[in-house]
Amino acid sequence: MNLKLIILIAAVGLWCSRAGGAELSPRESEIRAKLVEAILAEETAREAMLLGLGETGSQTVREVFSAWPRDRVFLYEDSENRSVPALLGEEEDAEGMVGATLIATGERIKAEDGQPRRFDVTEVAPVDTDGSLRKVLQLGIDLLSLSAVDPDARRSAVLKLGNSQSPDNIPLLRTKLAKEAHPEVRQAIHEALALLQLGSSDPEIQREAVRSLESMKSIGCLEALKKLASNQEADPGVVQAALRAVSIIEAHISWINFVGTIFRGVSLGSILLIVALGLAITFGLMGIINMAHGEMIAVGAYTCYVVQNLFGAGFGFSIILPINWGGNPISFGLQLPGLNASGALYESYFLFAIPLSFLMAALAGILIERAVIQFLYRRPLESLLATWGVSLVMQQCFRMVFGANNVQVNSPSWLLGHFSVDDIIFGYNRIFVVAFAVLIVIGTWLLLTKTPLGLLIRSVMQNRDMAACIGVRTNRVNMLTFALGSGLAGLAGAFLSQIGNVGPSLGQSYIVDSFMTVVVGGVGSIVGTVCSAIGIGTADQILQQVTGSPVTGKIVVLVAIILFLQWKPGGLFAVRNRSLD
Amino acid sequence: MSQRIFILALEGVNKTFEGYKAISDLNFYMDPGELRVVIGPNGAGKSTMLDLITGRTRPDTGRIEFESKTDLTNSSEYQINRMGIGRKFQTPSVYVFHTVFENVLLSLKGARGVFASLVHRTSEQERRRIHEVLATVGLESRAGWKAGALSHGQKQWLEIGMLLAQDPKLLLVDEPAAGMTDEETHKTGELLLSLEGRHSILVIEHDMTFVRQLARKVTVLHQGNVLCEGTVDQVQNDERVKEVYLGRKKRDKQPLSC
Amino acid sequence: MKSWELRTAAVTAFVLLVVIPCLNVFTEPGFAFHVSDFTINLYGKYLCYAILAISVDFLWGYTGLLSLGQALFFSLGGYMMGMYLMRMIGDLGQYHKPIPDFLVFLGWSELPAFWRPFSSFPFAMSMACLIPGLLALVFGYLAFRSRIRGVYFSILTQALTYGACLLFFRNSLLLGGNNGFTDFKFVLGHDLRSPATQRGLFMATALALVLVYTGCRWLSRTKFGLVQRAIRDSENRVLFSGYAAANYKLFAFVVSALIASLGGVLYAPQVGIINPSEMAPEKSLEAVVWVAVGGRGTLIGPVIGAIGVNALKSWATRAYPDMWLLILGTLFVLVTIFLPKGIVGLAAHLRTFLRRRFKPRDGEGDCDTLATPAQEEPLVNPK
Repeated sequence: MNLKLIILIAAVGLWCSRAGGAELSPRESEIRAKLVEAILAEETAREAMLLGLGETGSQTVREVFSAWPRDRVFLYEDSENRSVPALLGEEEDAEGMVGATLIATGERIKAEDGQPRRFDVTEVAPVDTDGSLRKVLQLGIDLLSLSAVDPDARRSAVLKLGNSQSPDNIPLLRTKLAKEAHPEVRQAIHEALALLQLGSSDPEIQREAVRSLESMKSIGCLEALKKLASNQEADPGVVQAALRAVSIIEAHISWINFVGTIFRGVSLGSILLIVALGLAITFGLMGIINMAHGEMIAVGAYTCYVVQNLFGAGFGFSIILPINWGGNPISFGLQLPGLNASGALYESYFLFAIPLSFLMAALAGILIERAVIQFLYRRPLESLLATWGVSLVMQQCFRMVFGANNVQVNSPSWLLGHFSVDDIIFGYNRIFVVAFAVLIVIGTWLLLTKTPLGLLIRSVMQNRDMAACIGVRTNRVNMLTFALGSGLAGLAGAFLSQIGNVGPSLGQSYIVDSFMTVVVGGVGSIVGTVCSAIGIGTADQILQQVTGSPVTGKIVVLVAIILFLQWKPGGLFAVRNRSLD
Repeated sequence: MSQRIFILALEGVNKTFEGYKAISDLNFYMDPGELRVVIGPNGAGKSTMLDLITGRTRPDTGRIEFESKTDLTNSSEYQINRMGIGRKFQTPSVYVFHTVFENVLLSLKGARGVFASLVHRTSEQERRRIHEVLATVGLESRAGWKAGALSHGQKQWLEIGMLLAQDPKLLLVDEPAAGMTDEETHKTGELLLSLEGRHSILVIEHDMTFVRQLARKVTVLHQGNVLCEGTVDQVQNDERVKEVYLGRKKRDKQPLSC
Repeated sequence: MKSWELRTAAVTAFVLLVVIPCLNVFTEPGFAFHVSDFTINLYGKYLCYAILAISVDFLWGYTGLLSLGQALFFSLGGYMMGMYLMRMIGDLGQYHKPIPDFLVFLGWSELPAFWRPFSSFPFAMSMACLIPGLLALVFGYLAFRSRIRGVYFSILTQALTYGACLLFFRNSLLLGGNNGFTDFKFVLGHDLRSPATQRGLFMATALALVLVYTGCRWLSRTKFGLVQRAIRDSENRVLFSGYAAANYKLFAFVVSALIASLGGVLYAPQVGIINPSEMAPEKSLEAVVWVAVGGRGTLIGPVIGAIGVNALKSWATRAYPDMWLLILGTLFVLVTIFLPKGIVGLAAHLRTFLRRRFKPRDGEGDCDTLATPAQEEPLVNPK
């Protein structure tokens, strides 16, 4: 994440510097001077100069190189009757005329009146080109790509050359390899070289190439290797080597898929975990079956939405009730101005949204606890019904305030990228969930075991009457515990808003899963909840892969859970209780 | 082991709850028709012992034999009950929304299957038996009451009555005097004594006055093991018992703070 | 079972079976007490819900098992009936093929094997018993064997119906996917669009409801009923009295699944559509709410609750389309907190209150209204 941030800052800096000065940078002037020199040079000297320019990776050079074979580079007689190379623009006006720029300076060519001069494409005399020059220019363009500043661009250029099946590119890649420092690009060059060498007529070179692809476990070259392996005319030794390489690479692919599945499973499990952790507290510790837990998730997610809008254009709503009061329908609404922030500040909205979503959900939890649940502590099955009523009311409120459709919550750009290790792709958002979940679990655990509040919570949950007897204000503890459980759901909502849709029934899709998670983990056991969330998440992903359908996978998981409870009815970490119920 | 027939025999029984050794290498024998009292300080494993006998929990190791022929360790609660072992819980466990009559009816000896229950008709004989049982526990005039309306002591007696209706060979009675007045306790003692001989009875008790009233063979449990056995006097004069039990007994008598 | 409840039930049965159909046939639309065809159809639907509600209460109010999966059994019954009704469409569908439209749409030209026998009504009905019954048997066996009870049972049954709901949404199950079955034309040779057929279905539903009510009432008065309620109040005592509680619970679960399925069978032709959303978890919850509102632990309560809440829902969705969820949600919260025994409990409370006022009574009574001090009596009868 740090690296990403630095790049972001660097990019912003770059942009500022460009916007700041209209003057060309020294390097740019130098490149342009060299370009002019090359265009005006003798044909024999040109090639080396052009290839040298290709090394620069400059965008200007690319423009010229790609325009030249299309006869859009010409010699312009300037006011002092010198022939200077110029570049025709691409956009034609109504009369088919185009503007032009001087290659030396990048300035537009102007007529005497100061207006940009227009040229007729057919009338200018382009700088001559021939077959060999075109070839050199193409090579130059490839070189330009290979020399791009962005490693990804360099890499894709290498891959393109590798797939060209033209052995001519081998020396070029070799020279690049000597200069390249970026490990991924170097790897790509190795791969491309080997791939090109596969097409060689010398079995020895082919074998060498196969061996090197095998050692690199190149997935991109799998098809080429397969083709080689099934080639009847190829050298038998080469075919054998290719077969071996194919099987090794295929094993590698299934390994990648396996690890990828596990990773997705763990991240899915983490989402489930964040959702289920709140439930583990309200259900596991307090014995309250909160069917409105899903709506607490939605509260968190909508908080993100509101915060995002407050950083942007502002947020407002109005509701008109279908009830008349003194002849007019009752209506109310709210209009909050936005900060109209942009860039990094706007993207930081999420950092503010996370604690706020916790707070808002916790507040909603306190409200519900005071209004409904405090009457139902001894009637768990009925708490289920009442909280379901609450959940219906809340869903309807979401619809009235935010509309029945999903709302758009944008992810900050720093959550969008990914990195890969050994060809396995790790998305930042997934890593973020996992890290987030770990933090929440540790935080919750610390809160419950190391703080005075945690001690109170545990005492009230174990024996409400006894706790009351020794002077614990159980009412307050109940309220705070419920607020904590709800707040955790809100945090889950904040995260869910980053990876999925936010709508009035957002919570409904998680409620069954999270209840199952708590039951499988063992009601009342935080450790159990963690294990079962990760376990169910991973099992879900693996089964999806095996059965090939998300729904079948889910059903198999449900059946597996029911069977699991046959074996361990109390869940993974059953809290033993010797007293009679 | 001996050729004697025991109504109940526990041999080398161990039970551990999450690292806590509730019962350790317990050996316990009871003769048919015997009235045995088991005492012991809190946490001595008395209730756990009953749980093990009635199949509520399973021992880690050891054998529990009924009538020296049936091993109980692999049977479930209802199977063990059907063999002829009845249990009275520490807190009265009756069906509060059923009438007293129905409470006894449900416990009456007879078929226990689902389909038998569908076609069951209460016969005149059963009715007589129920009233007999209710008369024994002194609840005859309460037959039509909801059990929930009974006093605590009456609930205890009703539960004992329900046990009698089952006509079990072995009665396990867990602290019958808990929460009773002295007078009620005394009556409970008389009731238990009147059953002696017809049934084998195992009573778990705390209250030494009550134990003295029953005045039979007493087993002292300590840390899941039999500390000593004998008459009330023998036990009370035993040095070890004084040390572990009577010493604590004083502390037990401190009023609870709430 | 109190006598006033029985009287209420008898009057209700008479109204449902005789009065309403007569008012529909023999009065003109202008008449104040005329019952329109629309109303007949609407109340036919409510009566199906009442059957479903009884099945919930038979488990919850009488056995102490709160099943959140009753809508699944209801829908399974509906689907079995739906399969028969789909076969009765014949080639009158949009594609004019002898197989259901959705199968044509999925590229089938012939009927899948398992569909074939459903053109027989008796077969469809036996499946409507067998499939929900078997599912309840297997699931119940697993759940009760491992002593899953209380909220765990609720959560598991909810997961069960959720899983089934996901399954039925799939087209590959060949049961119509998310559209389910619709466009029914005939039932047992009668045109479903004719008022007479709808009236017949209404009366059949009313009769089914009366039978279910009577059956459950009979069951609750047998020794089985006693054991059932004993399990609800103290499962341990039942176990230690030698009853295999799991078997009793299993029997109750299967019976209630069959009752729910019967409701579904009658529901499909009257509503004209059956689809997987009928088995969504919230449908089961709704049914539980009807029972809670009406009064659990009685048999008339669920009927009152199902009809009452649904009538309110119909009214609210028309009068305040945006608000009815608020109304319904608030109602559930209030009833749970303030009326734990539902409407029936409130009525019973009022009656007791009034009778206490005017006629002091003795002896028998509810445990919560009666607390007589223990009398001193000899414990041991002199022999």
